[in-house]
Amino acid sequence: MRIGLEMHFQLPTRSKLFCSCPTGPAEPNHHICPVCLGYPGSRPSLNRKALEVGLSIARFLGCRIEERVWFSRKTYFYPDLPKNFQITQYESPLGTEGHFDLNGRRIGIWRVHLEEDPGRIRRVGRSGEEVSFVDYNRSGIPLVEIVTAPDLTSPEEARAFIDQLVTELRALCGLEAQDEQTVRVDANISVGEERVEIKNVQGLRNLERALRFEANRQTKMLAAGKRVVLETRRFDEVRKVTISAREKETEEDYGYIGEPDLGEFLVGEMARGLRIEETPLVRADRLATEYGISKATAKVMVLTSARLADLFERLCAHVPPEQALTWTTGPISSNWNALRDEGLWDDLVTIVQDEAEGRITDNEAKRRILSLAGVQVEEATVGDMDLGGTIADFIDAHPEVLADYRRNPKAVNKVIGHVMKESQGRFASKEVVEAVRKEMDRRL
Amino acid sequence: MSLNTLELVQLAHRRYRAFTEVVTELEEGRFHFSAKDNLCANGFQARAGSAILEGYTPPFDATAIRRLKEAGGQLVGKTTMDEFGFGTFSVNSAHGIPLNPFDLERSCGGSSGGAGAAACLIPGHLAIGVSTGGSISGPASFCGVVGLTPTYGRVSRYGLIDYGNSLDKVGLLSRSSKQIQERFRAMAGPDPKDPTSCAQPPLPARGRMPDSIAVPSQALVGLNPAVLKGFQEALGRLREMGVSVSEISMPSLRYALPAYYILATSEASTNLARYCGMRFGKREQELNQHFNDFFSGVRSQGFGDEAKRRILLGTFCRMVGFRSRYYLKSLAVRQMLIHDYREVFQGHQAVLTPTMPFLPPRFEDVGHMTPLETFSADFLTVPPNLTGMPHLSLPCAYSDGLPIGMQVVVDHWKEMDLMEMASQWEGNFPYRFPEVME
Repeated sequence: MRIGLEMHFQLPTRSKLFCSCPTGPAEPNHHICPVCLGYPGSRPSLNRKALEVGLSIARFLGCRIEERVWFSRKTYFYPDLPKNFQITQYESPLGTEGHFDLNGRRIGIWRVHLEEDPGRIRRVGRSGEEVSFVDYNRSGIPLVEIVTAPDLTSPEEARAFIDQLVTELRALCGLEAQDEQTVRVDANISVGEERVEIKNVQGLRNLERALRFEANRQTKMLAAGKRVVLETRRFDEVRKVTISAREKETEEDYGYIGEPDLGEFLVGEMARGLRIEETPLVRADRLATEYGISKATAKVMVLTSARLADLFERLCAHVPPEQALTWTTGPISSNWNALRDEGLWDDLVTIVQDEAEGRITDNEAKRRILSLAGVQVEEATVGDMDLGGTIADFIDAHPEVLADYRRNPKAVNKVIGHVMKESQGRFASKEVVEAVRKEMDRRL
Repeated sequence: MSLNTLELVQLAHRRYRAFTEVVTELEEGRFHFSAKDNLCANGFQARAGSAILEGYTPPFDATAIRRLKEAGGQLVGKTTMDEFGFGTFSVNSAHGIPLNPFDLERSCGGSSGGAGAAACLIPGHLAIGVSTGGSISGPASFCGVVGLTPTYGRVSRYGLIDYGNSLDKVGLLSRSSKQIQERFRAMAGPDPKDPTSCAQPPLPARGRMPDSIAVPSQALVGLNPAVLKGFQEALGRLREMGVSVSEISMPSLRYALPAYYILATSEASTNLARYCGMRFGKREQELNQHFNDFFSGVRSQGFGDEAKRRILLGTFCRMVGFRSRYYLKSLAVRQMLIHDYREVFQGHQAVLTPTMPFLPPRFEDVGHMTPLETFSADFLTVPPNLTGMPHLSLPCAYSDGLPIGMQVVVDHWKEMDLMEMASQWEGNFPYRFPEVME
């Protein structure tokens, strides 16, 4: 099975792609102007920030970026398209020949380019009496279109791909969380030789369903000896099936020409000068490789918080990675809200380092960390304590625990818990556990 | 009995149909100018000669108009034109066909016919015109006035209703070049709302009179004998002024016309897609039908024949299978012509030809012309329009009382050299203007 995706994401810029209308939410037809309404006499002028974001995405995906780019007109008639042409990049995408690593597999990226969003049509009323309204707030919002090679091999993988890509793009350029409603995808899927295009799927759940249905449909046809027809289909969200889009008998000819009003842009220098921050999943891979921790653990860490990973790396400069990991994913992570303040990190490093080098016990370290986090802990009591005596006293006072221990080894935890509390960090956990077990076994 | 300016404006509107709309009062202390009806201005309709834009009153001023207002001008009216700029004789106008001030039974030329008539009729008047393939030069020649078509990108096109975005230029027509020279500077200059205006070098303070001018032999073929004679007399006059005039050959000129029409109509067919009865303009269609039928109805009714012809032609040239052969190839031809002009400019400062191949035609003769014959009338004006080089049409002779124009072309950005030449020419050749008919 081969699956290729064509995704459209709205870029997080304050203004639209070709005019200075705001992009945030508003009442219908409130964020409009002569340019994004396509009024005669108006003309586009490119939003620089959108170009920068587009180029960062192209670089992040390892694309080849041309020195000169320009825009094209894609002409077709539809009520949500004010000029009845869309300004896009046909012959001149920002980036080509890129890739995205998905769980160790390389997925090819054919192209990355910018284009403007059309408006939105809302149909209201009962079937047969419907009225269509058009809201042009969305018209002109910048979109990045990312097209993959047909390298994905299952509907689940396709979904995972988009999930991960969005995670990365969110960190890279502030792309909004693309939830169920906002992801817009066209998918190409072929089980055998012929591919079928499924257009305009909204949301990841629908994408997976559509792909599963289509994969099934094609498999059944091939098994029955029938040919799969090269065609465009759409996904019916209600019936959860793909249906042939009968309206188009011929492939639409968009009659592309260049967009003379925008001219050409020399983007090489701008692209090279962009700072591409390390995105979460890329970072997780690096942490796993560099520090020998598991990929899964690294992933959880970076997805919890980039700064948690920062702290982890800082700790690794002072203690072995396993230790750094234990503390980071343990009490530090549990109290992250309080401990994310970088002002506390010097102290954290000291605590962890002291424990690693044996100057304090692990329980003491934990107590200090909790204290740093502002959690109420009992004062560390100084002075000696009779460990053996404390243990003996407890067992004497609770003979049923010993009786329980005969049948269930876990009963020892009750004793350990009590002693830990009593000892308030004077002894290392290991020490307490060993001493308790020894005494319990001795008494049996 | 001489008429004052306001009376002339109203006469030009009523009798000569130079205007679609005029003001009722003139403001003190302001110079008066008009704008072709494809330029947007607050308080006026902008219908671009088309029925489909009936009622379109844009909520903004075109930059060129705004700048002239800021320089002290008053916009006194919108001038008649061929629908969207499609035409050479202004007969494709939905709002009245302008009549030639030299002879009311003859065409003003097009597509800025109204601008030509207004500039001719009203002394001291500045008419803003727009040229895509020669729509400033043609009317200037037929109406016996001076017409400046600046370098593509010199004047902002923001607020201009598009014909061909890589070809449209906003320019000026007037009885004398002095008027033009004074006000052109205010209109020119970068405008962030039109990116194609932002790559220009600054306009120099003065220009240089060309001392060596080239006349391509290809431009002297197929001319009306009176035009040829008048043009050759003008060459003699230039020689007397000390200008060296040589005949050269520019064989690639003949490719300009087809390349131009392919590019212009391709761009126009996309520009005109927006006229579909939604958001602005005319909409006399039942809403309760399929969108395709709805907008097809609006467009069939609202567009004139020439507009339909050019949309079809332009769409065809962009279609898969034809696109490389026509659209992409024309882009290459344009580059070739720019290169060929530059070669000529190595040895000469200007290229000179007659502006139009015949005298202002009678309307009945225009009516008998085939579309191809109409297109071919542009063969002299199209080359500099295709290459985007600045050019000027100057009255250079008269035949039986009708004006003949000559067209000077210089390299990109050298408008001031044109102005210098016009100024010196006007010192040697007095222009004649017709009596105004009440």
